Amino acid sequence: MVGDSFYKGAGFDFSNHIRNTYLQEKGLPLPKATSTGTTIVGCLYKDGVVLGADTRATEGNIVADKNCEKIHYISDNIRCCGAGTAADTEFTTALISSQMELHALSTGRTPRVVTAMTMLKQMLFKYQGHIGAALVLGGVDTTGAHLFTVAPHGSTDKLPYVTMGSGSLAAMAVFESSWRPNMERQEALNLVVTAISAGIFNDLGSGSNVDACVITKDHTETLRNYRRPNERAQKENTYKFRRGTTAWTKESVRSFVVDETTTPMAPPVTVGGDAMDIS
Amino acid sequence: MQVDIQQLKKGEVNLGTSIMAVQFDGGVVVGADSRTTMGSYIANRVTDKLTHIHDRIYCCRSGSAADTQAIADHVHRYCQMVSQQGDAPSVHTAATVFQKLCYENKDALSAGIIVGGWDKEVGPSVYNIPLGGGLFRQPWAIGGSGSTYVYGYCDATYQEGWGRDETVNFVKNTLALAMSRDGSSGGTIRMCVITEDGVERLFIPGNELPRFWEGKDVLSASERTPVPEPMAVEV
Amino acid sequence: MAPPQSHSEQPMQRHFNPYSENGGTILAIAGADFSVIAGDTRQTEGFNIQTRYAPKVFRLSVHLRVFYSFRYSGITDKAVLAVNGFAADGNMFVKKVKQRLEWYRHAHAKDMPLRAIARLIQTMLYAQRFFPYYVYNILGGIEDDGSGAVYSFDPVGSYERETCRAAGAAQSLVQPFLDNQIYFKNQQPLPGVAGGYPVHLPLERVLSLVTDSFTSATERHIEVGDGLEVYVVLAKNHSPQRLEALSGAHVREVTSHTDGERVFVIQQDLKKD
Repeated sequence: MVGDSFYKGAGFDFSNHIRNTYLQEKGLPLPKATSTGTTIVGCLYKDGVVLGADTRATEGNIVADKNCEKIHYISDNIRCCGAGTAADTEFTTALISSQMELHALSTGRTPRVVTAMTMLKQMLFKYQGHIGAALVLGGVDTTGAHLFTVAPHGSTDKLPYVTMGSGSLAAMAVFESSWRPNMERQEALNLVVTAISAGIFNDLGSGSNVDACVITKDHTETLRNYRRPNERAQKENTYKFRRGTTAWTKESVRSFVVDETTTPMAPPVTVGGDAMDIS
Repeated sequence: MQVDIQQLKKGEVNLGTSIMAVQFDGGVVVGADSRTTMGSYIANRVTDKLTHIHDRIYCCRSGSAADTQAIADHVHRYCQMVSQQGDAPSVHTAATVFQKLCYENKDALSAGIIVGGWDKEVGPSVYNIPLGGGLFRQPWAIGGSGSTYVYGYCDATYQEGWGRDETVNFVKNTLALAMSRDGSSGGTIRMCVITEDGVERLFIPGNELPRFWEGKDVLSASERTPVPEPMAVEV
Repeated sequence: MAPPQSHSEQPMQRHFNPYSENGGTILAIAGADFSVIAGDTRQTEGFNIQTRYAPKVFRLSVHLRVFYSFRYSGITDKAVLAVNGFAADGNMFVKKVKQRLEWYRHAHAKDMPLRAIARLIQTMLYAQRFFPYYVYNILGGIEDDGSGAVYSFDPVGSYERETCRAAGAAQSLVQPFLDNQIYFKNQQPLPGVAGGYPVHLPLERVLSLVTDSFTSATERHIEVGDGLEVYVVLAKNHSPQRLEALSGAHVREVTSHTDGERVFVIQQDLKKD
C-alpha cells in the first residue's frame, strides 16, 4: 500500500512553520541555527579573482566551529563564499555545484559564472528569503573574470570588489581605501588578507583564520588557512583526570568472548563423473 | 483587508531610488541614481538600475532589488521569445508584461517600474507602472523615494517639443535635485538615450553632478563679516 | 520608495530602552589567606567592540591617595569589586560604593569591614529594586579575621559568601569548570585518603586556573577577549614572594599603605578576534 506521503507535493514542507510560530507565541524559543556571522570578500585583479573568508562559525554568542570552511566549490573555475545560515549556504552551493556539473556535461563547455549566478538568484528568489544565504560568487570563464554578490532574497550585484556578512563593513572599509584596478596577484591577495583581518579583529561574528582562493584563466589555487593569526595560547595546567575519577552507580562486567567448538564435517561424497567441477 | 504591499521584507535589499524617463521627439531618455541600500548601509554605490529589456527597450527599477531583478529578467526572456518569432516587441508589449506581473503578484512584490523605449509603431514612449500594478503612458515619469521631492520641479520645467540635449539636461538636473534631498538616493547618475539609431549610455560621476543652491556658509561668515544692511522702515 | 506607516504583525518597541549589555566576564576565587578577582577588558555592544580596554575590576579606594600622605591609614586595600553587565551602570555603581566607603571613614575613623561592604552593596542594589542597576557584582577581599573571601550578588541585591564565582557573558562556560576544579564536583576522591580534597588551593594553582578559564572562554565566547586583569589581595601575613616570581605576565603592586593587606595587579593579553 502506498503511504500518504506519496501524494504530497515535491519540495520543502512549510507546515512546521505554523507550528513553530504557535510554539514561539507560547514562549518556546526556536533552536538557534548555526550561523556563519562572517566576513567574506572577493576582489578582481589583473589575471582573475581572489576570494577570502574567515573561519569562525557561531551559535548566538558561542563559537561553534573555530576553523570551518566558507569557500565552497562550484566548479573547477568557480568558487562561492557563504555567509548567513551555515546549512543554507552549504546546501545551496552544493546543489548549484551539482547542477553546474550536469550543465557542463550536457553542453560540453566550461561553465560560466553568470550561469551559476542566475541559478543561485532564481533559487533564492523562489524561496523568498527563507533560505538565509548571502553569497560572494567569483570565477573565471571564457568571457573573463567575474565577481558577484547574491543576497538572501535573490538580488545580485556585479562589482570589482565585494564584501558580505557581519564583518562586511569592516572589510569594505579596507577595499574602499586601498583597492586599485589591475593589481598584481600578491597585491590582491594581501588586500584580501587585510580585509578579512579587519573583519576578524573588529567584528565579533568573525574570527580565527584567513582562507583564500585565487582563480585565474587556467588555474585555481585554494589557500586554506593562508594566515593563522589566532593560535590558542598554551594552557597553564593539564586537565587529565585520574583513573577512577567518575563515579558510577552500577558495575556489570560481561564477557563478549563466546566459546566455540568446531566439529569437523565429513567430506562430501564424490559420485563418479556427476560431481560438479568447481575447480 | 489592507494588503501590505509597501513593506519590504526584513533584511531585504532596497533600491531607495530616484528614477526617471522622459520622451522627446526622436527618442526617450531614461535615467537613475546609483545607490542600493540595506538599512543605512550602502550595499552598492555604482548600481545600474537601467536594465536592458530589448534592443530599444529599457526599464528603471525601484523598490526591492530582488523583486525588480526577477521581474526584469522575466520580461527580458519574454521579449527574446517574441523577437525570435517575428519583429521586435513594442514598448507597449513589454510594459504590459511588466504590468501583468506587478498586478497579479501585488501582495508579494514591491516594485515600481518605469519602462521607456522606441518602437516603429509609435516611436518613443514612456510607461509608468507604480506599486499596485497600474499602467500609464506618460510623456515623462519619475519614481522612487527621491521622486517626491521633484514633482514640482518637473511640472514647472517640462515642456513639449524638446530635443535630445534639452531632455538629457532635464533628466540630469531633476535626478541631481532628487539625490541631494533624498538620503536613500545618491552616488552617480546613469542615463540612456534610446533612439531609432541605437542606445547611448551616459554617466555622470558623483563629483560632476549639477549643483544648485546648497545653503549659505554660516561658520566662515565671520571672515567676510558682511555689513548689515539698515533695516527698512515703513514711514 | 519610502514605505509609508502601515500596520505590521511585528511588535514595535515604542519606549526608550535604558539598558544595554556590554559583554565580558568576571570571576573571583578565595584562598585561605588571599583572594583573586579577575575580569577581561573587552567591552562590546552587539557585534562591535566598543573598546579593548575597559576595566571591570576596581579597588574600592585609591582616589584619596593624591591628597593624603602615603602613610594615611584610611584607604582600604582589603576589598576589590568586579562589575559586569551594563557598563554605564557598573561604573556609576562603583563610584557610589566608593563614595559611601569614604563617608563611612569620615564618620567612624576606620575602614569598613569586608562583610559590611557586602551588606552595604546589598542595600544599595535593593534600593533600586524597580529600576535596577543592570549589573552582576562580585566582591573579593580579606575579612577581619584574615581569611580570603568572595561575595557574589545578583542585580537586585541577593548575595552570598562563596569560595568561587564566575559571572557575565561566559558564566555558563566558566562556572562548571570552577565547580569541577575548585569544589572538585563530579570527581571521586582517591580511595583511602582521609578528608577527600583540600578546602583551599594554593595561590599558584588559583592563578593558573584563572588564566586557563579566561583563555578558554576567549576561545569559545565571542564577547570575551583582548586583555585580562587579575587583582590579587594578600592578607597581612601572606608572603608575596611566589607571586613576584610569576613569569610571562606583567605584575604590579598597587598597595596603598605599608602595614596592611597587599594588592597586586597582573595584566595579560588575550586573543583579539
